[in-house]
This record gives sequence, C-alpha cells and structure tokens, in this order.
Amino acid sequence: MAKAKRSFYRSFKENLTGYMFVLPYFCFFGLFTLYPILQGFFMSLTERDIFGFDIRFVGLKNYAQMLTDQRFWTALKNTASFTLMDVPTNVVLAILLATLLNRHFRGKEISLSMVFFPRLLSISVIAFIWLWLYEPEWGLLNHYLSFLGVGPISWLRNPSVALRAVVVATVWWTVGNNVVLFMAGMQQIPTEVYEAAELDGSVGLHRFFRITLPLLRPTAQFVVIMQIIASFQIFGQVNIMTGGGPAGATRVLVQYIYETGFSYFEMGYAAALSYILFLLIMVVSVIQLVWLRER
Amino acid sequence: MRKKLLGAFTVAFAVLWFLPVVWMLITSLKYETDIFQLPPIWIPSRITLDHYKVVMERSHILRWFLNSVVITTCVTFLVLIVDSLAAFAFARLRFFGRDVLFSIVLASMMVPGQVTIVPLFALFSDLGLINTAQAVILPPLAGAFGVFLLRQFFLGIPLELEESAIIDGCSKLGVLRHVILPLSKPGLSALAIFTALGSWNNYLWPLIVLQDQTKMTLPVGLATLRGTYATSSYGVLMAAAVISSVPIFVMFVFMKKYFIQGIALTGGMK
Repeated sequence: MAKAKRSFYRSFKENLTGYMFVLPYFCFFGLFTLYPILQGFFMSLTERDIFGFDIRFVGLKNYAQMLTDQRFWTALKNTASFTLMDVPTNVVLAILLATLLNRHFRGKEISLSMVFFPRLLSISVIAFIWLWLYEPEWGLLNHYLSFLGVGPISWLRNPSVALRAVVVATVWWTVGNNVVLFMAGMQQIPTEVYEAAELDGSVGLHRFFRITLPLLRPTAQFVVIMQIIASFQIFGQVNIMTGGGPAGATRVLVQYIYETGFSYFEMGYAAALSYILFLLIMVVSVIQLVWLRER
Repeated sequence: MRKKLLGAFTVAFAVLWFLPVVWMLITSLKYETDIFQLPPIWIPSRITLDHYKVVMERSHILRWFLNSVVITTCVTFLVLIVDSLAAFAFARLRFFGRDVLFSIVLASMMVPGQVTIVPLFALFSDLGLINTAQAVILPPLAGAFGVFLLRQFFLGIPLELEESAIIDGCSKLGVLRHVILPLSKPGLSALAIFTALGSWNNYLWPLIVLQDQTKMTLPVGLATLRGTYATSSYGVLMAAAVISSVPIFVMFVFMKKYFIQGIALTGGMK
C-alpha cells in the first residue's frame, strides 16, 4: 500500500505520460466493450421494443423464459452438434494436411496456397459457392455422388442433413488456417528429436504417433479451444445458406439471437440469450486456462 | 518412390480442395444454358460476360466494394495507431494501475463480439449512427488482441536501443516512432493482416447496422443477392462472388508469405 502510494506520487509526470498513451484505446474500450457488457446485463432484465419505448424491469423473467423455450433448446442443441462435428473434423484434417504439407516435394508451396486460399474469401462467397455445389438437381456434388450410387440428396432442405452440409462448407472455409498453425507448430519441433528417433528406428506412422503428435500438443490445445469458441459463434454460413431452416434444423444460437433481437425486436430476451452464450464461452475459456496450466 | 507418391497425393488433394473456387469462376463465365447442363461442362466452348454485366448494372456491387475498402482501411490504420500507443505504454512506461488495466484488457479477449451486439445496437441508435460507416469502423477499435500482440512484440526489443535515443533527447512518442515501431514490422504487419481480414469478412455487425443498400459492405450486400438470384441464376451469384474475390486473390498472390506468416504469428501468440 505504502509502496503503491509512493509510486503514485513519485512521478506525476511519468503517470500522466502513461495515461496519455493508453487514453485513446481506453475511450474505445470503455464505450464499446465495458459499457455494452454492463448494459447488456441490464437489458437482459428488461422488456422493451427496439425503439426504446416502454422499458420495463422484469427481473429474471427472460432467463426463466428460456427454460421453456423450445426454440432456445433446439438452438443450443444445434450449436452443440455443430461444434461436435466441426471441431474434430477440422482438427484431424488440419493435422493430416499439415503433416503432408510439411514435407519436401514438388508443388509444396502452391499446394499450401490452394488449401489456405478459401480462408480469405468472405463468408457470402463461401455460402454462394456451396449453395451452388449443393444444388439438388444441377449441383456438382449430387452429380458425382450419383456415380457412387448415392443420392440425390437435398443437402440444405433436408432437416437431418442440412447442419452437416453447413459443417462441410465451414471446414472447407477454415481448415487452411489451422493447417498453417499446425505447420508452424511442427516447425518448432527440433530436428534433433527426429534424428534421435531415427537412430532408434522410429519412422513413418510410428514416428508420427510417438513424436510428432505428442509434441504438437500445445498447438493442438490452442487450435481446439479457438475452434470451439469459433463454432459457438457460427452465424454467417447459416444465415445466408439456410436462414436457420429447414424447420429450425440449422438455427444456431447466434442466428436465434439475431432473429430475436432484429427480426422480432425482443431486445431484452436477445440480450439474455447473448449472456447465456457469453457464459458458455467463459466456461470454455476457464477450462482452457486450467487445461493449459496442467502441462 | 513412396516420398514422390505422397507428394503427388498431396498436390492432387490440394487441387481437389481448390476446385470449388475454379468452379465458381467457370460458372460465372458460362451461358445460362451451359450452367444447367449435365454432365457438368468444365471447359466451356463459349464464354460470356453477361452475368458480370447484370451484377454491375442491377446491384450496387462497386459501391459495396468501395465501402468495404474504405472501412477496412480505416479500421486497420486506426487499430494500428491506437493499439501501438497502448501497447507501448503497457510494455515500457510505468504508471499507477498499469498491471490492473492490462489484466482487464486481457480478460476482455474472452468476450466475443456476438455477445454485445444487442446493447451495442442500442448504443449506436442512441448516438444516431445507424446506417453509417462509423458504426462499422468504431467497435473493432476496442479489440484487445492487438494491444496484447504488440505488447509482446515490444517487450522483445532490447532496452539499450531506446536508451541512446532518450539520451539524444527523444521524447517517449519519439522513441515509439523512431525506435520501437521500425523494429516491430513483423508484428505490425501480422496485426494489420489479422485486422484487415476480420474487418473485410465481418458479417453479423454490418448486417445489423447497415440497412441502406448504398451503405452496405461487400459481404452484407452480396448476401442480399441470394434472395434475388439463388433460384434463377447461379451465374449471376458466381459473377458477384468472383468480383469480390479477385482483389483478395491478387493480394494473396503478391503477399502470400505475409499472409501465412501473419496467421502463424497471430495464432502462436494468442
């Protein structure tokens, strides 16, 4: 305490310089991060329409309403299924591709570019490309699958397939990002480790499972957590490709928040839904901290 | 031999992975009757720019494009300036409450933007900024990631380099400008790419605050075409998609190294 006080008075000028440097950032931080977090909680305790008329304090009513809101539970379930499908597919595929791409061969550079490039396309472009590939009658996918005796499948109109179809499009979009991260992780593994393993006769698959994978653990943990958090927030693909349909089969949490707040203008309820999403992401983040510290 | 085979397999897989992008381009150049044709025509015998004409004439695509460029440029520059000032203070200056403030900034990285859209929308309506570019430019400036990334970078720069500058009579701002920033180019370019990409592809927030067709950004504007053309003409949709992807493609070809390094760097730090 005494020390803090001393450091406060020690150099008024030094303090002032520090504050001047952080001031611009904290103006934005206060206005667009802190304030909305607090205001969001306040809004979640109210009922009001979008114009701001008639704001009534309703306590925890919005949260209670969720318990019996079938749409909310479906949205939660869809978000969970999406995450459970997207994360393992994405991570496993990324590790495999990174392993393949991390070797020396002709066309390495261009191969990495081709796998990575979709990541740079905007979500609307991704949605358009896949809408066309998934076209039931004229789309490429059904055409080529018909040779395997599969289909035709109404990818985006069949409630039991639609969410999986969105996952495929998402993996195509994002896997390149994770490939780059895993390749960076692999390049950090010292070559001596591999040389020593070679002397012990560890090659090929054995080497991959015994050396590469365990040493990739920090990267994998990071990618898994980021991918889970990103999956919780999935929105654009769904919004453009299916609009949450058919019959709510792809209505994920953020889509539901969007509909509630900006189609039905139930801002209080939308704010409460956002807080639940916030809570879920907090839980994942805390698990991450514990998990990473365990190492 | 086995090595060559694996290499060939990898290239083949990458080509297959990239094929949807090629298919988008091919479809956009085909005549309507060739688009709806099975088996699919991969190498059309005749091509047309009709779909591009339709997109240009009947939508505001060039306007959306311009809006996106302006917004992305503003966001990226402002983030770089605001974040390097703050990061410099957190890395190099001593002031009361510094570490507490930094912890708060760090903790806020756990709060994704989606969580605050409802109160943010209320805030921007109160400010009368709905349907303006400012509404899209301002919120990303509160992002914590850049402050964190740049602070890490600045901490890695040896102190001795600044000391001589200070002896020469350089102010703190001068130290940042003339010593720290020139030495932090990899960090700055990684943050620039990370920010620009996020801003260019941002969808949810602009969708909410930009309702006027002429104010929209590219992703939001494009999405409005889906309702108009999805069932009638994939050629038009693909043409719109190509127009919005070409600049990204060109930038990627020339700056591939920076993109990939940027992703690896921002990913490794976070």
